[in-house]
Amino acid sequence: MTPPVLSAVAVTKSYQLGKREIPVLRGVDLAIAAGERVALLGASGAGKSTLLHVLGLLDTPSSGEIRYDGAPVQDRSVRERARLRHRHTGFVFQFYHLIPELTALQNVQLARMMGLSVLGYLGQRRRVRDEAAEWLGKVGLQDRLHHRPSELSGGERQRVAIARALITEPRVLLADEPTGNLDSATAQGVVDLLFAIQQERSLALLLVTHDEQLARRCDRLVRMQDGRVVASEPAGGTPAGAEA
Amino acid sequence: MYRLFLALRYLLTRPINLLGMLGIAVSVWALVVVVSLFTGFLAILEEHLQSASADLTVTALPQWAEWSALQPQLRDDDNVAGAAPRLVHHGLVMKPGQRTRTPPLPGRTSLSGGEQPFVFVIGIDATAEATVTGLTHWLADPAIAPALRVADRDQPFAGDDPRPRVLVGLERLIREGWQPGDEVRWTFATVASDADGNRTVRQHELALVVAGAYRTHHFGFDGNNVFLPIATLREALSLRPGSVHEVVVAVRDDRQLDATADRLARATARALERGNGFLYGTVQTWRERNQGELESVAHQRSLLKIVLVVIMVVAAFLMLATLSMMVTEKVADIGILTALGGTPLGVTQVFLSCGLAITAVGLVLGLLGGALTSIYLEEIRQALLATVGVDLFPAQVYNLTRVPSRLDPWWMVQVAGMALATGFLVSALPALRAARHDPLVSLRGN
Repeated sequence: MTPPVLSAVAVTKSYQLGKREIPVLRGVDLAIAAGERVALLGASGAGKSTLLHVLGLLDTPSSGEIRYDGAPVQDRSVRERARLRHRHTGFVFQFYHLIPELTALQNVQLARMMGLSVLGYLGQRRRVRDEAAEWLGKVGLQDRLHHRPSELSGGERQRVAIARALITEPRVLLADEPTGNLDSATAQGVVDLLFAIQQERSLALLLVTHDEQLARRCDRLVRMQDGRVVASEPAGGTPAGAEA
Repeated sequence: MYRLFLALRYLLTRPINLLGMLGIAVSVWALVVVVSLFTGFLAILEEHLQSASADLTVTALPQWAEWSALQPQLRDDDNVAGAAPRLVHHGLVMKPGQRTRTPPLPGRTSLSGGEQPFVFVIGIDATAEATVTGLTHWLADPAIAPALRVADRDQPFAGDDPRPRVLVGLERLIREGWQPGDEVRWTFATVASDADGNRTVRQHELALVVAGAYRTHHFGFDGNNVFLPIATLREALSLRPGSVHEVVVAVRDDRQLDATADRLARATARALERGNGFLYGTVQTWRERNQGELESVAHQRSLLKIVLVVIMVVAAFLMLATLSMMVTEKVADIGILTALGGTPLGVTQVFLSCGLAITAVGLVLGLLGGALTSIYLEEIRQALLATVGVDLFPAQVYNLTRVPSRLDPWWMVQVAGMALATGFLVSALPALRAARHDPLVSLRGN
C-alpha cells in the first residue's frame, strides 16, 4: 500500500512562555494522500496554522513524527529540511507574502532560483523565465508579468503566490487561509483555480480555513480544538476527482 | 542564486544605500589621495635631503682627532669610494653695516632655511669634497644665473683676492642681494679656557668674499650653511693642522650602507683608540642624519592616516544604519524565503551580499577616484587655480615646483583590506540579526 504523501504521527508542539509551557498541539495524527484535498477547520488558537507550519517543516514538533512518503523527516538537518520544503511542499498564505521589490514574474522565478547555484541558474535562465511566465499564464496573469505586487489586486497577488508555490512542482500544497484576505467573488475565483490545479497535478492539498462552505468542497474535513484533532470526516462536497 | 538576485534587487530599489556606498568611496578616496600626497612629499624630501648629504658622516669626533689618522682607516674599507674632512662652526654672516633682521615664522624657516643671518660655516677641502658630495653639481645647478656662479667649479675658493672666499646658498644669495666679489663679514665666537679652567668667550670677525652660489635641492641646507676653505676655518678657530670635526664619506654600493657604517664606526674607534675603553666617533647614514625631518613628515602622514580612518569608521556607521534599516524593513520577506526553501545561512548571505556589494562598489570608486586624483593632482590644482583662483597646495611654500604625489600600491592594498574588513563587519551585524529572526513571526503577521 502506498504511504501517504504527508503524515503527522502523535505530533505535539509546545511553546515556552517564561517559565510556563504552552501546549499548542497535543498528539495530532493526520495523513494526506496524493490527490487528496483536506480542509483543516477550527477556531482561532486551535493549532491549525501551527500544524501547517510543522507539517511544512517550517517548525519542529516537540514530539511525534512528520513523515514525507512514509519517511520521518522532522529530525533532519536545517539544510535538508530546507531542501525538502523546496522540492516537496508549496505554500500559499493569507497575506501572499510577495516580495515588493520584485515583479510578478521575478517573484515566481525566485522560487525556482532557490534550488539553483549561480552557474546552474545562468545555464537555464531562459528556461526558468519561460516556466515562470507559463505558470503566470496558467493563473491568468499573462498580461501582468512585469507588474509589482503594489500594482496588482489582492486576487492577482494571490494568483502570483499560487504560481510561485507550484513552479517547483511540489507534491503537497499547504494553504493557510488563502482566501482570508479576499472578497467573496475574488475568493471564489482563487479557490476554483487552486482546486483545478490541485486536481490536474494530483497534489495533496491541506487547506486551513474558517470558511465552512469552502471546506465542504474538499474531500475530507479535519476539525481541531485545543490542539487536538476532534473529528475527521468526509466533507460531503464534490469529490476532488469529480470537479472540473 | 536567489541570494545574489535578491541582494541586487534590494540594493537597486533603495537609493539610501548610496549613502553608505558614498561614505566608503569618499573615505577610501581621501585615504589614497592624502597618503599619496604625503608619500610623494616624503619621497621628494628624501631626494632633497640625500642630494645635500654625504652617504655617511663620521661625527662626534674628539678634539684630538686627526685627519691623517682617520683617513687611512676609512679608505681601507672596500665600499668606501672617497672621504673628505670637514670643520664645522657657526656665526653671523652679513654685509658690513647690515642690521640683523627679525627672524621669520618658524615654519618657513625650517623648510626654506634661514631668513636670518645665522649660519653654519662648514670648512671643506674642495677637491676631496667633490669626490664625496655633489659639490661640483651644486655649483653648476642650472637654476644659478651665470653671474652668480663661481669662476672655477673645480677650485671654487681660488682667486686673487687675499680674503677667504665663501660659497653661499643660492636662495640666501638672491635674498640678500649679494654678488660674487662682494665682501661679507663672518662674526663668530670662540671659547677659551685658561689653566684654572676659567672660560672666556671671545668675539671674532673675519672678512670674506662671496665666491658664488651653490644649490642642492634641499633648501633648508642651502639656507643654513655656507662653505669656506677648511684651512681658513682652522686658522680662524686656532685649530691644529689636521684637526677635523667630521668626515663625509661616499660609498660605492649604497645597498651596503648600514653594514659599511658599522665597519667604519669600528675603524674610527680603532683610529682614535686611547686605551681607556671608550669608543670615540659615531657614523651616521644620510638617513640617520636627517632622521628628524624624515620622521616628522612620516609622523604627520601616520597621524593623517588615523584621522582618515576615523572617516571610514563614520562611513561604516552610516552603512550599518542603512543596512539595519533595510533588515528591519525586510523581515517580512524572511518568512517566505524560508518557506520557499531558504535557510538562516541563506538569509544571512542575502544581507551580507548587500553590504559587501555596497563596500565593493564604494571601494572600487574610491580607489579609482583616489588613483586618478593622485595622478592628476597637479593638473587639478592648476585647473582650480585657473577657474576659481583657489590654490589648494601652494607649492612654493614647500619650495616645490609641483604638488608631489606618489601612489603607494601597498597602501592601496591595505586600504582595500581595511574597507573590506569594515564592510564585512558592519554587514555581518544586521545580516546575523536577520538570520536570527523567526520566519514564523513574519508568516503569521501581515
